[in-house]
Amino acid sequence: MLIKQVPDIEKVRFDVETGRVDRSSAPAETNPFDLNALETAVRLKEKLGGRVTVISMGPPQAESSLRDALARGADRAILLTDKRFAGADTLATSYTLATAIRKLGSFDLIVCGEKTVDGDTGQVGPEVAEHLGIPHVAYVCEVREVSEDRILVVSDMGDKYLFEVTLPALITVTKDINTPRIPTLRDVLKARRAKVEVWDADSLAGYGETCRFGLQGSMTLVTRITIPSEEGRRGIIFRGEDAVERLIEALRKEGFIP
Amino acid sequence: MDEETVEELRKIVGRDWVIYGRDVTAGYLLDETPPPIRPIPSRDVVVVKPGSVEEVSEVLRYANEHRIPVFPRGGGTGLVGGCIPTLDGIVLSLERMNKITVDRENIMAEAEAGATLGDLIKASEKAGLFFPPHPGDEGAQIGGLIACNAGGARAVKTGVIRNYVRGLEVVLATGEVLRLGGKLMKDNLGYDLMQLIIGSEGTLAVITKAWIRLYPRLPATATLIIPFEKRSTAVKAVPRILQAGILPLALEYVEKAPIERSAQHLGLEWPCKVGESFLILVLAEPSEEALYAQCERILSLCEKLGSLEPLLAESREEQDRILKIRSEIYTALKPDMVDILDATVPPASIGAFMDEVEHIAERYGTYLPAYGHAGDGNIHVHIMKEEGWSMEDYDRVRQEIYDVAVKLGGTITGEHGVGAVRIGSAAKYMSQTHVTLMRGIKRLFDPNGILNPGKVLP
Repeated sequence: MLIKQVPDIEKVRFDVETGRVDRSSAPAETNPFDLNALETAVRLKEKLGGRVTVISMGPPQAESSLRDALARGADRAILLTDKRFAGADTLATSYTLATAIRKLGSFDLIVCGEKTVDGDTGQVGPEVAEHLGIPHVAYVCEVREVSEDRILVVSDMGDKYLFEVTLPALITVTKDINTPRIPTLRDVLKARRAKVEVWDADSLAGYGETCRFGLQGSMTLVTRITIPSEEGRRGIIFRGEDAVERLIEALRKEGFIP
Repeated sequence: MDEETVEELRKIVGRDWVIYGRDVTAGYLLDETPPPIRPIPSRDVVVVKPGSVEEVSEVLRYANEHRIPVFPRGGGTGLVGGCIPTLDGIVLSLERMNKITVDRENIMAEAEAGATLGDLIKASEKAGLFFPPHPGDEGAQIGGLIACNAGGARAVKTGVIRNYVRGLEVVLATGEVLRLGGKLMKDNLGYDLMQLIIGSEGTLAVITKAWIRLYPRLPATATLIIPFEKRSTAVKAVPRILQAGILPLALEYVEKAPIERSAQHLGLEWPCKVGESFLILVLAEPSEEALYAQCERILSLCEKLGSLEPLLAESREEQDRILKIRSEIYTALKPDMVDILDATVPPASIGAFMDEVEHIAERYGTYLPAYGHAGDGNIHVHIMKEEGWSMEDYDRVRQEIYDVAVKLGGTITGEHGVGAVRIGSAAKYMSQTHVTLMRGIKRLFDPNGILNPGKVLP
């Protein structure tokens, strides 16, 4: 199960000069889609047994999201943190996560959110599967059946599709798949004291090429961010004989009518 | 309203800001009072929307001269018909006066009366500050909130609206503009007329501007749901939580049937699957450490209080979802409701009060759903429609609930005020001296009785 800590997207500000997200402007939280992914994984565990391991790549403070995952039912949490992981695009991120999964050993199913609310690409999940050479289905809104070696899921890509893939596999899930549970107070406090394992680049050395991590391993670069300007409501009063004509003209000028 | 008056008002505020005619004034005649008890608005009303304190002053001067009733109006979110124009006259809507500036140095906001609660919350957040109370509907306007001394959920830690207002600019019935207080934490110059106007429900003066105390942001927040098997166990836990030194922003009580109905109404799911009655605690602390320290204490206290397993929401989305479901209960119940009561008792008596309410429900064979601000001793008991009941039957139930509250040292209204619908009850529960003093004050402020006539005063 892969998660990411993101800034609260409704509050965050962007630094137009540097083209970066100003992370200090908003509190951090677990990417909302990842909570649906975690809920999917925990429900499967509750039904079929097994263990849920959560991996996140990020700065040291991302540990709080991993604790959140432990409170919500995960069994083990691993934080990939190292300056050498920084500046990663989706390719380097997915490569690093796939490397960590290789280090973990065998698994049946990887569950991710469909995308993160800060990056919004939806690429990392499927790329991880490609690095690992396993089948993947994106935008899963329902898990129909799971057997020893197969999973049957419904994917919502505008129209709905039924997919059956062999395990091990990776799925990315939409918000419609479930409503994530709110953890108990007891579990939150217990998770505060639980262990979060920390892995750095060196600890992954035997499982992948470290030169493919972080900025060095990135093929894409953010050169510029533009922020759409917010238009507030405006009131204009037209009066006189030609008011209707001028109103139509104004609406046309703004592109509201042809 | 004669054409000459309408024309004079147009001269004062501009022709675009005077609305006259039954079809166009409809949106200014009612508030959120449950329809079965709501007063019937007058037919002949002109809506005036001044854009400045000078215009408010001119309108009042004119109205006073011509003895025209003036009904000041905010967001129309009141629950006792306080802003409903019950006589022919002027509805004075302050909606255009909606500027807010935040003074970071003094940690205060300067807000015009027509700015909404939502605007104030946003402006405070933008300045990195915090306006703690949350008296319900965010469409409520500052002027109305102050005129009604609104309470709401988040009053446990830092109080109701009265506790935040540091200064007011008001216009008297004569049109005279008066400034009371200011950006001051202390002010003892003479009688505190500002506090007198707060909660006077538009009967003494029209509020045009306020200086409001803000707080530093409390970044570590969490919302707890503590489930209980029974109403009485849940309610009796409330004073014990407060006595243990836990001071949440909000300490709300809700019940399964109404909260699930509200969730369903919103297309959401109430997250707590166990229990019949719930306490919702909103915690806000300066640091995570402080927050979790409170949480540890609450968990060990819950074990003693006989609760089921509490839930803890920390993400903004989850906290908002819980509060959204909580705050929409009223809307969800409204179609079947006759009245929403806000009788309030001393915090430690809330258990005894709710036990008595349960007895009343049993005696009358009715269901009295209850939810609300348990931490303030202010749980809203709802009187619901019953097949074959007359208004007198509902009145009897209301009367019994009031009697119980007063017997326990409480009041018949803790936050909604008297407005139009509680005047009869106010007459019964206020002493004659109280009424006489109020009438005297009213005469001093408004000798011609033009401001919100027929409200508050028995």
